[in-house]
Amino acid sequence: MASGKRDYYSILGIFRDATPEEIKRAYFDAAQRLHPDKNVAAGETELFLETQQAYEVLSNPKRKSLYDATLPPEIETDTSIKHEFLYSRPSLVKITEPQLLYVQLEVGSREVAGQMATPPLNVCLVLDRSTSMQGEKMDMVKAAAITLIRGLRPQDVFSVVTFSDRAEVLIPASINQETKKLESRIHLMQPSGATEIFQGLEAGLNEVKRSLDPSRVNHIILLTDGHTYGDEHACLKLAVEASHLNIGITGLGIGNEWNDIFLDALASSTGASSAYISKAKDIERILVDKFNALSSIFADDVVVDYKAQAHVHINYAFRLQPEGGAVALETPMHLGPISRDAPLKVLFEIVVDPGALDHDDVILMEGSIKVSVTANPAPATPIRVKLSRKVLEKASNEPPPASILSALSRLTLYRMQERARVSAEAGEYSAASRHLQNLATHLLSKGESSLAKTALMEAENLERMHTWSDGGNKELKYSTRALLLEGAKEKYK
Amino acid sequence: MMVCPNCKHNNMAGAMFCAECGAQLLGKDALTTQNISTEQFASSLPKNTQDVYQSFDGQGAWGSIHLLDTGQVLPLSVRNEFTLGRISEGQPIMPDIDLSPYQAYAGGVSRLHAIIKRDGNRILFMDLGSANGSYINGKRLQPNAEQYINHGDIIALGKLKMQVLVKNG
Repeated sequence: MASGKRDYYSILGIFRDATPEEIKRAYFDAAQRLHPDKNVAAGETELFLETQQAYEVLSNPKRKSLYDATLPPEIETDTSIKHEFLYSRPSLVKITEPQLLYVQLEVGSREVAGQMATPPLNVCLVLDRSTSMQGEKMDMVKAAAITLIRGLRPQDVFSVVTFSDRAEVLIPASINQETKKLESRIHLMQPSGATEIFQGLEAGLNEVKRSLDPSRVNHIILLTDGHTYGDEHACLKLAVEASHLNIGITGLGIGNEWNDIFLDALASSTGASSAYISKAKDIERILVDKFNALSSIFADDVVVDYKAQAHVHINYAFRLQPEGGAVALETPMHLGPISRDAPLKVLFEIVVDPGALDHDDVILMEGSIKVSVTANPAPATPIRVKLSRKVLEKASNEPPPASILSALSRLTLYRMQERARVSAEAGEYSAASRHLQNLATHLLSKGESSLAKTALMEAENLERMHTWSDGGNKELKYSTRALLLEGAKEKYK
Repeated sequence: MMVCPNCKHNNMAGAMFCAECGAQLLGKDALTTQNISTEQFASSLPKNTQDVYQSFDGQGAWGSIHLLDTGQVLPLSVRNEFTLGRISEGQPIMPDIDLSPYQAYAGGVSRLHAIIKRDGNRILFMDLGSANGSYINGKRLQPNAEQYINHGDIIALGKLKMQVLVKNG
């Protein structure tokens, strides 16, 4: 990073045309993280003093204009981040009905993976210990937790919270812990009580907050096997708070009873995702994979801040890699982390209404991308983005880019599964069954015969019994999601 | 608006896959296609069954089925077992190898007639309780009993005769 001579704007992570409100907000955000009362890492107090100095100058109109006069012209450069947008079509067509356009965003690091340091972790495991976890599941969770503990590096901060209808901190957050002692604490875990996820999340968030450090990967991994009752709303609010603090929440559901839609919503509002563990023996493998993924993070989160444009809206956004998952359509949008090995890829489906076509150029999205690089705690300089397309009388014949086509062919499978669920939810069982039969046909043509069989079986279940089989809908959802990732990986090699 | 050629669903302009049935609407040409030179193809056309078998050999097939009446050769590759039968409309039975294009109905082939599978270097064949039975070299088989077969054996599903060609046979 060019940290030697950073101007006041880049210190605060804002553009030169930032409004006084934006300057103020950027300063408050930075101060919250870097204040000497709160910061932990060496050198952050200096960063705090820099932001203070920057704010003093930029918040005073007179001093600001004097300072601006000394600045060299703005060059959009620097940044260790590269990004690229791909469009499904080079132009829009002038028609009197709404039209679709797909845009694929790729954000990655400029540096080579080998040269980057692995960031230390600050991870809290939030484990469900309700009565239903009794037996094999609990044993496997314990075994998995112990494997993770043995794999910890001295610099990693690790904590464990268990919860049922209340939460206990089993292992308080700290670095350099004694492995044996932690293992014996894990063995103390006893299943009993109901499932109240909020209790666990709140305690977990507190643990992660205690050693919150922007130069670490701050993350909560929630492991549950059941529905939570009545506290969903509180959980989602907590997830929003976590996302402001750059803390990700991954949701892992075991078995068939948990609510995947809720867990997905929870995770995606922090830019993370949920996963399905169908068998207890997979708990360890999936947890270890998740931990490895966290240790190879290059940037915790990519946040897109954008203003809604008239007659244009984002219909659907899906992260294709590093971890497949729907992106919550909020402003700002949390797209998720960038891994050191692979860039982040997100596909947007954008609907353009005829009302937008009065201009020759339609702006699809205007705003900025902020990437918080884990190894660099200073506020990130945002990247300005403006997506626009020309409006032409005739549709272009140019074929869509192959990467959008192949991503979309797989995403279509996932969305057919989603559509089947929506129909089933609405009581339209024959429609849902039809969607699944279509899905099965496509799965077969892709060589996924066992998954196709599952889809056909569920189609029959819906038609006859008007219900899904145990876990069948989750199996389809997470397997079609996994197909997306496989497609992306193939392309890498 | 774009009408799906497969299910007639009305999709929004610019859609690339049908929202209803998932069929691809746009960019079909963008998929990679290969040109096969016809000259090369003609010269490589096999003259007899032995050659046919050789040409599949390179593609990892472990054997093939040569239909004696019509002359077609069906390679056995990728998977280790195949069910043989005939697809009939309105029935959800899907054999791995559908023989209906080769007069299976007239030959008395059942919908799920028999199974052929690889067992190491050898080949197992089993009749699945078909209506008209299966024969190896003219001898009728017990249903649902596995039997080893050899390279060049003639099997018959009902009246439909075929020769089994085995790699390393």
